[in-house]
Amino acid sequence: MSMVPNTDRIKEMADNLASMEPIKGRSLWQDAMLRFLQNKAAVTSVVVLALVVLFSFVGPYFAVWSNEEIDWSRIGKAAELGAPSIANGHFFGIDNLGRDLYSRVIQGTQVSLMVGLIGAGIAVIVGTLYGATAGYFGGRIDSVMMRIVDILMSIPYMFVLILLLVVFGRSLQMLFVGIGLISWLDMSRIVRGQTLSIKNKEFVEAAVATGVPSFTIIVRHIVPNLMGVVVVYATLLVPGMIITESFISFLGLGVQEPNTSWGALISEGAGTIAYGTIWQLLVPLFFFVITLFSFFFIGDGLRDALDPKDR
Amino acid sequence: MLNFIIRRLGIAIPTLLILVVFSFSLMHLAPGGPFTSERPLPPQVLANIEAKYGLDQPVYVQMGNYIWGIVTEFDFGPSFRFKDRTVNDVIAQGFPVTLTYGFWSFVVAVSVGVSLGAAAAIYHNSWLDYLAVGISIGAQVLPNFVMAPILVLTFTLWLGLLPGGGWNGGQWQYLVLPVIALSTSYMASIARITRSSMLEVLNSNFIRTAKAKGLSNKRIIVKHALKPTMLPVISYLGPAFVGMITGSVVIDMYFSTGGIGQMFVNSALSRDYSVMMGITILMGSLVIIFNMIVDILYAWIDPKIRL
Repeated sequence: MSMVPNTDRIKEMADNLASMEPIKGRSLWQDAMLRFLQNKAAVTSVVVLALVVLFSFVGPYFAVWSNEEIDWSRIGKAAELGAPSIANGHFFGIDNLGRDLYSRVIQGTQVSLMVGLIGAGIAVIVGTLYGATAGYFGGRIDSVMMRIVDILMSIPYMFVLILLLVVFGRSLQMLFVGIGLISWLDMSRIVRGQTLSIKNKEFVEAAVATGVPSFTIIVRHIVPNLMGVVVVYATLLVPGMIITESFISFLGLGVQEPNTSWGALISEGAGTIAYGTIWQLLVPLFFFVITLFSFFFIGDGLRDALDPKDR
Repeated sequence: MLNFIIRRLGIAIPTLLILVVFSFSLMHLAPGGPFTSERPLPPQVLANIEAKYGLDQPVYVQMGNYIWGIVTEFDFGPSFRFKDRTVNDVIAQGFPVTLTYGFWSFVVAVSVGVSLGAAAAIYHNSWLDYLAVGISIGAQVLPNFVMAPILVLTFTLWLGLLPGGGWNGGQWQYLVLPVIALSTSYMASIARITRSSMLEVLNSNFIRTAKAKGLSNKRIIVKHALKPTMLPVISYLGPAFVGMITGSVVIDMYFSTGGIGQMFVNSALSRDYSVMMGITILMGSLVIIFNMIVDILYAWIDPKIRL
């Protein structure tokens, strides 16, 4: 036994070390991504959602009938001749006016998804800025701003929304404005709560000490740190917006013909089930349900992946 | 406590005022007055009608009169579309119907939801738990306007058990489907909230102490676990109530129950502004008052809130 270490081994180890890649740190987002990918329900939902979106863009190229064409040979005979069929080109069947449900569903999918995304988009922008401002300044500004949110929240907005639509005309734009008016309230509350806990961190203090103006601190330092919560909540907001729009369209107060949406299609289908044209209800319902499920599962998956509490 | 109630009233009253002012101004912004028709009326006639309804006065006077009428006499004014009806007539006709099935829906949602959620938590990871979780996930994508046609399809068209619409003086057969359609999604939410809240409570230290004392399971749950479990459930009652009030519009339309929601949509379609405004204010006040009661109840159960 000699005390002299095996120089060959040491050399070999040194060589090994030298050739090794430096260990890469994983960022918060990479970490979250890995966790998200392990969640089977969430990943499946992403695929399903992607397929629905793809369908709404690529679907029209396969359509035999456009959404404005009327099949005169089958008009008024939806129950007998209108069932879904590959042979006559009505993949999802027709309604009693002879309109092709396949094209109508594609159109409805586009409108509903757009309403969901725009509604959630407004909520993200307005809600985040509003909540972050209230939370950052605190004190009297905070209590006034949040009191306004409290008041707006306790109004049954569906009635007000319908009032708005009736007064200013039932158009898609008005629907966006109406949904945008209320969608940001919850978001602003959540963001405010988060901001309160962030604003006392050292990096914010450092920014204040170096004389960065308040608005820049909010936009550059606070908002990026809120992104996790915002992303999770925004994913859960999209289905909420879709449900709101469908609700109004179900009552016949939302999108107007010839435009359509899932809610309008479900409403039509629900009104005609007694005549045996059940596909008119089931097809839009299917798209509605799988999309909502997907958004909820993705939202849950993101929450599990991003929520620091569960780590 | 009294202080808290007064402070809470300080929120409720301005909210009510904002609601009234907002809907009133909206109505005034509406293009075309209530008496503009395709055939223009002679100006003299128009002036007479407007004088009769007080429309020739400045807006703030009209608004003041309107609010005064509601506060002192509960009078929401005449309908603009039907000359022989007042808004009060419309409300009196529709409100009892909505109240009846709304009440039952609320009772069903809370009782079934709380029992299901509590049972799921007590028998954690059993088939009952999975059933409860399954129902609460499924019901997320089944809002009332989806539930209603599915129920009618199943129970009316396929099974032929229950009528698919109508009211018939509120006989129970006519109540079942509207109540299920309206309550399901809230029942599911309440079950989910109860379950997670109860799980948290059952794992907390004071329950462990109670177990260590040798109390029976039943006593632990009824005496110790139930009250703290109910806190998040109570705070959800407000949103659930709002949801049901709004949902009643769909139920009324789909089941033709003749409730206030049907009146609201019909008046929206025929641009009967005064009826719309009356219903909006009535429902809004209900919601605001209910939220206040829930908050006070919450503060009564959990004294920490009052700080």
